[in-house]
Amino acid sequence: MGKVIGIDLGTTFSEVAVMEAGEPVVIPSAEGGHLIPSVVAMSKTGERLVGQIAKRQAIVNPENTIYSIKRFMGRKWGEPAGRELPVEEDAKRKAYKVTKAPNGDVRVAMGGKEYSPPEISAMILQKLKADAEAYLGEKVTEAVITVPAYFNDSQRQATKDAGKIAGLEVLRIINEPTAASLAYGLDKKKEETIAVYDLGGGTFDISVLELGEGTFQVKSTNGDTHLGGDDFDQRIMDWVCDEYKREQGIDLRQDKMALQRLKEAAEKAKTELSTVQQTDINLPFITADASGPKHLSMTLTRSRLEQLVMDLVEKTLEPCRQALADAEKTSAQIDEVVLVGGQTRMPLVQEKVKQFFGKEPHKGVNPDEVVAIGAAIQGGVLRGDVKDVLLLDVTPLTLGIETLGGVVTPLIPRNTTIPTSKSQVFSTATDSQPSVEIHVLQGERPMAADNRTLGRFMLDGILPAPRGVPQIEVSFDIDANGILSVKAHDKGTGKEQKITITASSGLSKEDVERMQREAQTYSAEDARRREEVELRNTADTLAYTAEKTLRDNKDKIPEDLHKEVEEKVGAVRSVLQGTDIEAVRRASQELSDAMQKVGQAVYQQQPPPGAEPPPGGGDDEGTVEGEFREV
Amino acid sequence: MPDEERPTGEEAEVDEVATLSQALAEEKERAESYLANWQRAQADFVNYKRRNEQERDEISRFANSRLMLALLPVLDDLERALDSVTPRLEDSSWVEGIRLIERKLRAGLEAQGLSQIEALGKEFDPNFHEAAGHSEGQEGIVAHELQKGYMLHDRVLRPSRVIVGNGEVSEE
Repeated sequence: MGKVIGIDLGTTFSEVAVMEAGEPVVIPSAEGGHLIPSVVAMSKTGERLVGQIAKRQAIVNPENTIYSIKRFMGRKWGEPAGRELPVEEDAKRKAYKVTKAPNGDVRVAMGGKEYSPPEISAMILQKLKADAEAYLGEKVTEAVITVPAYFNDSQRQATKDAGKIAGLEVLRIINEPTAASLAYGLDKKKEETIAVYDLGGGTFDISVLELGEGTFQVKSTNGDTHLGGDDFDQRIMDWVCDEYKREQGIDLRQDKMALQRLKEAAEKAKTELSTVQQTDINLPFITADASGPKHLSMTLTRSRLEQLVMDLVEKTLEPCRQALADAEKTSAQIDEVVLVGGQTRMPLVQEKVKQFFGKEPHKGVNPDEVVAIGAAIQGGVLRGDVKDVLLLDVTPLTLGIETLGGVVTPLIPRNTTIPTSKSQVFSTATDSQPSVEIHVLQGERPMAADNRTLGRFMLDGILPAPRGVPQIEVSFDIDANGILSVKAHDKGTGKEQKITITASSGLSKEDVERMQREAQTYSAEDARRREEVELRNTADTLAYTAEKTLRDNKDKIPEDLHKEVEEKVGAVRSVLQGTDIEAVRRASQELSDAMQKVGQAVYQQQPPPGAEPPPGGGDDEGTVEGEFREV
Repeated sequence: MPDEERPTGEEAEVDEVATLSQALAEEKERAESYLANWQRAQADFVNYKRRNEQERDEISRFANSRLMLALLPVLDDLERALDSVTPRLEDSSWVEGIRLIERKLRAGLEAQGLSQIEALGKEFDPNFHEAAGHSEGQEGIVAHELQKGYMLHDRVLRPSRVIVGNGEVSEE
């Protein structure tokens, strides 16, 4: 089975999401963005347009642009009205032709042909399918599609048919409020009563669900099919126009262009006021009159906005009361409240919902995407993703070894998914060092002494060589059970040692959290200590290489320069004995400057033919010094 | 097991073979399912990697799109300002300075990949234009441009907002 996509097939916008590496991901459309307008059109040239492109030409091609087809899915002419308007009413409000099939079904006309609502929805689904396939790089043949909780059998079947026409096997049709609950993981709880408050762009829906034994049951639904974020925008526009008329005597409502700009500005202001207390509506050259250009510049505060829309928000509470009554529940009996729809981002809405239900609503998941995400989660469950034998763990803390200066060199960072393995090549700290000690550490602090020792072992038999030359490969390997084995391998001699550590996950959750917290608290201090160690290491290496350079290029270096360098090296060595880090920094700098002069001196001379070029003073690139000093 | 029912040597062997065969079949099935899951995980990983690289590419090319989109209204307003210069101020050097600033802003954005979408007089194309209404004019041709549209590299950043001709042409 390939991936099962989750589709939120909305009245005005649709979205598709899929599970990836255990997490739901909303799939971007080919045009960019996540929301695809649920609009289908046939252009004058017979080309079929779906989504954003179709929306853009809607005004100039109204008879052949089909929108809000969801209102006609699974419905018949002459049906008694349910939550929706009767078909006759709805049809009148549409710019496209809605006709009656012989059996009473709804048909819509587009490009001179008649289509059933499932056929139109299928065009939208086809686009979502294509976008998903482009994103995933594989074929998609199965989906989970969401529908409003009040959809009847015929409406659900029509949605399934639409999927089939689009080439998708619809594994399940789930209710939108159920999908939202899944997105918040509420299905993991045992017995719950959940209220889902869905305030979108044009409609409001409230549903009361009961979760029992892993299944969701819809106890009641209610709502207002003509109440949404667009009404909020309108309130702002009305206020601006009224204020402007009062102040400037000009009625912006007469100016189509101004209204368009104002509409966008109103929406933007509304969005901004969800995070700040006030915002500017700034529209230069909004219009002109006899005296010249006119500008609009107003400040809208959050409290003013709340006054403007208070009645709209309160209008949503009556359906909530009704839904509770129909479900025979009091607000106290509601265990969880879930927010869906962009308009629920508004602090006033969240506040009112909290007051009404007496509890904090769930809102962490993007309210525009929560339904698609829930559908994707359901798709993952149906595919068997969750039931896989493989439940992967992570290492809770960073694992590494101790290196020169008592610092930790990490090999496997915390929260790496296991099984995993990592190796790195290290070297010796002193000339002719015969062995290295591998000190395995666990923890987040940069200094070895502040972390937990998991184990130690030695690898000996290293051949005499200048420091930094031997290559010791250290490998960490954690298997699926969390058992860590650490191996040290001398690439020169072929000798190997290893240990196996089972206790790496023996820490309790509190221990892990404590270690992470401590790392945070001490992070500034630790960083300073680490920097000091690194400075000292660099100074030490600098002194060593300076001496080596002096030895190797004895004849090319003038006597006084040689003496100067020797002095500087001595200075570095002596400050390293002490603890004054600034002195170390200064001495290193002076030595470094002196070495520059040596380099110049050497390169100015013609090297005799066949002589080896002077060493650049660097050790093996890419190896890290190992602190394997014998104490 | 009572004596008479104890299996003979041969029967015992047959039983053992049967048990082993079954165990083998079960192990084979398990091994196959492991392999399949591993392949699936590998495939997911490869796909994810590929897409990750694509996304990184895109991010570096289009990282500026949010910023540019936020700056376009400012460019629009500057244009409006310059379009409505009164005749009296037409020659003022101050206005000239503003013109230079507008040009500079535009040049700066163009250097980052912004380009204008041609709309006026062109055939209406919803891939690049957003229709705001009809008016007199040649059918299907853009008659008025209400708001300029722009591309960022090869992608539409903001479609042109236009009025499309409906085929009616007024008599002179």
